[in-house]
Amino acid sequence: MRRALLALCLVATAAAQSVNVAGDVGLTDVIPNGGDHSKTWIIETTGSGAAWIDYDNDDDLDAFLVSGEGGTNRLYRNDRGKFAEVTAQAGLGSEGWGQGVCAGDFDNDGYTDLFVTYWGQNRLYRNLDGERFAEIAESSGLAQIRVRYNTGCAFLDYDNDGDLDLFVANYLKFDFETTPRPGDNPYCYYRNLPTVCGPRGLPFDRNLLYRNDGDKGFADVSESSGIAAPARNYALGVITGDWNDDGFTDLYVACDRTPSILYINQRDGTFEDEALLRGAALDASGEALSGMGVAAGDYNGDGTADLFRTNFSDERSTLYRNRGDGDFDESTVAAGLGKNTRYVGWGTGFLDIDNDGRTDLLLVNGHVFPEVERLNTDIHYRQRAILYHNQGDGEFADLGDQAGPGLSEPHAARGLALGDYDNDGQVDALVNSQNEAPALLKFAAPSENHWISLHLEGVRSNRSAIGAKVWVTSAGRTQYASVRGGGSYLSQSDLRLHFGLEKADTVDVEVHWPRGLRQQFGQLDAGGTHRLVESPR
Amino acid sequence: MPATSPIACIALLLATTASATAQSGFDAFQRGDYAAAKQLLSTDHSPRGRAFLALTEAATGRCPEAEPALLADYEDQNLRLLTTLAMSRCRIAQQRWAEAAALLTKLEEEFPRNPDVLYENARLHLKAWNGAVERIFESAPASFRVNQLSAEIFEIQGRYSEAVAEYRKALAKSPATLNLHYRLGRALLMESHAPESLEAARREFEAELELNPYDAVAEYQIAQIFEVQGNPGAARQRLESAVSNDPNFPEALVALGRALVAEKDYTRAVEMLSKAAELAPQSESAVYNLMLAYRNAGQRDRALEIKKRLDELQASPDGEFSSFLERIGEAPQQ
Repeated sequence: MRRALLALCLVATAAAQSVNVAGDVGLTDVIPNGGDHSKTWIIETTGSGAAWIDYDNDDDLDAFLVSGEGGTNRLYRNDRGKFAEVTAQAGLGSEGWGQGVCAGDFDNDGYTDLFVTYWGQNRLYRNLDGERFAEIAESSGLAQIRVRYNTGCAFLDYDNDGDLDLFVANYLKFDFETTPRPGDNPYCYYRNLPTVCGPRGLPFDRNLLYRNDGDKGFADVSESSGIAAPARNYALGVITGDWNDDGFTDLYVACDRTPSILYINQRDGTFEDEALLRGAALDASGEALSGMGVAAGDYNGDGTADLFRTNFSDERSTLYRNRGDGDFDESTVAAGLGKNTRYVGWGTGFLDIDNDGRTDLLLVNGHVFPEVERLNTDIHYRQRAILYHNQGDGEFADLGDQAGPGLSEPHAARGLALGDYDNDGQVDALVNSQNEAPALLKFAAPSENHWISLHLEGVRSNRSAIGAKVWVTSAGRTQYASVRGGGSYLSQSDLRLHFGLEKADTVDVEVHWPRGLRQQFGQLDAGGTHRLVESPR
Repeated sequence: MPATSPIACIALLLATTASATAQSGFDAFQRGDYAAAKQLLSTDHSPRGRAFLALTEAATGRCPEAEPALLADYEDQNLRLLTTLAMSRCRIAQQRWAEAAALLTKLEEEFPRNPDVLYENARLHLKAWNGAVERIFESAPASFRVNQLSAEIFEIQGRYSEAVAEYRKALAKSPATLNLHYRLGRALLMESHAPESLEAARREFEAELELNPYDAVAEYQIAQIFEVQGNPGAARQRLESAVSNDPNFPEALVALGRALVAEKDYTRAVEMLSKAAELAPQSESAVYNLMLAYRNAGQRDRALEIKKRLDELQASPDGEFSSFLERIGEAPQQ
């Protein structure tokens, strides 16, 4: 009995109180995205992403939100914790069916650039000196000759040449003229309700890889790299990582109603989808689930990145434990993540909510079909978020309502980006929901644990340091993280790495830069952000 | 045998040589002018003429008159399809289910993918089902079987709360009937996603086991619940019982195999999963977990061999996508 009480106290202590402060800080514009009471087309269901970027290099995070048809994407400049809408002056006004966003300094000029995916032409926004952006997709070789349903994206340096290449997931082939309407065929129903058609029954499309050729722009290497195969997946969320730890960046792509893809970099400019044999394509019973978003993090402290994928209602979100060599074991139930099956999960990310040195897990939810309200079940269109607290023994505990009112608010959430926007040592969550103003979830942790934030800057490697691996050691414990392109659901979290340190005051850091250099940084003080620059040697 | 629609059959049949009067009769039949067709075809005594006259009679509800010609054994396959379909419709209208079933079973053997044959077969079973439901509701309205049947109908309709209520009524009337606790447990799982429903469902599966200690499926369900509840030891025990009760239960073998993989007992895991894959060769779950068992056991080459089987199973069902894409006018991507 005593032990049980102690366990309860520990969970309660860890229960950082979440509050949605979006309205207080100026994030009040409603982002349109399809029908709110019913939807006719699948394009209305998948948008849109969110990003934290420091576009003006003033060391605080600005917010970028992608919009569906009927509005524009929005950039909010962070002015000491309050946000000013600067979309037009930054040159980012753009309409259409916006889907995903990813960020990286593709031209290595020291300013973070943006890439936004669309049903239709994607946009590459080059950051001009931190003041405004220029849209250069066409002149950079990224124009598409037909309408594509582009979704997730990620910058990565797959050939380790020091500049960022670009991966773009494609969901399926869709157009308003030939796609059937709700109820037109068996693929257009959900629990006997006529709903939007798809993805099953709609044609697949292939994913895209663009190689950065410097001044010559980007070259489409989808075919020659093997990325275009197998083209039998409905691809959504994407994240980069070196799953097999061979020094070359791989990709994981969450796929809807089809096996998810693990593109393993073959170190010769090509990729192979090895998800099936490596155990990251299906769930433990061999089912292809409805993958939406994806997160990577070392939840069990074994020094390798594990994968977490959000799925549909009546499915479990899936945790894949890395066996150390890029092979995975599905560990959802063993990790205590098997009980929530009423939610449709989208954005997700690992974060250390109480700075105890163990990475927790956040996911935001919302059903695909507004029509689901007519069913009178415990599944709703707007759904609460879930925060799983890492218990430190390989298991998570769902904090439920203990996590505060911010997480309990029901939303039709999609994109989620993580980052400490006010630099207070607590990671915050930016959520893009359909036809709502965004949510900005602040977590007021009761603990006084220490933290450190690392801003990596490549010199020989890409300047954003995407692909860099970091080990932080404090008080005898080592944590591992990596700078990743993409992630969550069609979103980009802060490229800085945040570590909770419990009571440690200083840390030793080892960085493995993408181009191979291993560098140590000793005795860094807790409580702030450190800029770690790659040695030019 | 490719699918052939009645209209295509008729067109094929009409393309053959016929007298002018008979041809006019066929034309009248095709455009649905049955009065004219009957008049014109009554003078044609060829097998084809007699068959179309019978089809005309059947189409206008005069099955007894049509029956002799519809039951004749036609050499022409398309004619046989049309007349047997018409005859089966007559039998369904007469509620002579067994005879209709016999005709349609034979037709389905000869035309396994014909949508008209499949539709008629589905309609037959629907009608027979409706008739049986009506009879049980009329003749034994207070029987627990009525509650059970109502519950099963609600389940099909996705109305799980109502299904739960009906199963409970059935159990109140007949607490010792096998399978009711099991079905109630399943409905409880479907009714709610709340973790508490797991415990309520488990109680029902346990109650089923009290009635039938050899119920492997109930043991399996309890194992699944224990697994989700974070009690792998109890889950493992129940899976052992399930497999002991029914050594040929593929799902239980797969689940036990997975548990053994987690325990790194690869030899026994491979044994269980191989048996599951043998019993259910189309089971992706069995083959997938067998592949992973070999992989985790360090036998990557063997895992790759099994993966080839899995790749074959994972190929889209023949025609599913391609036929749909044809309908929306786009060729499948190469």
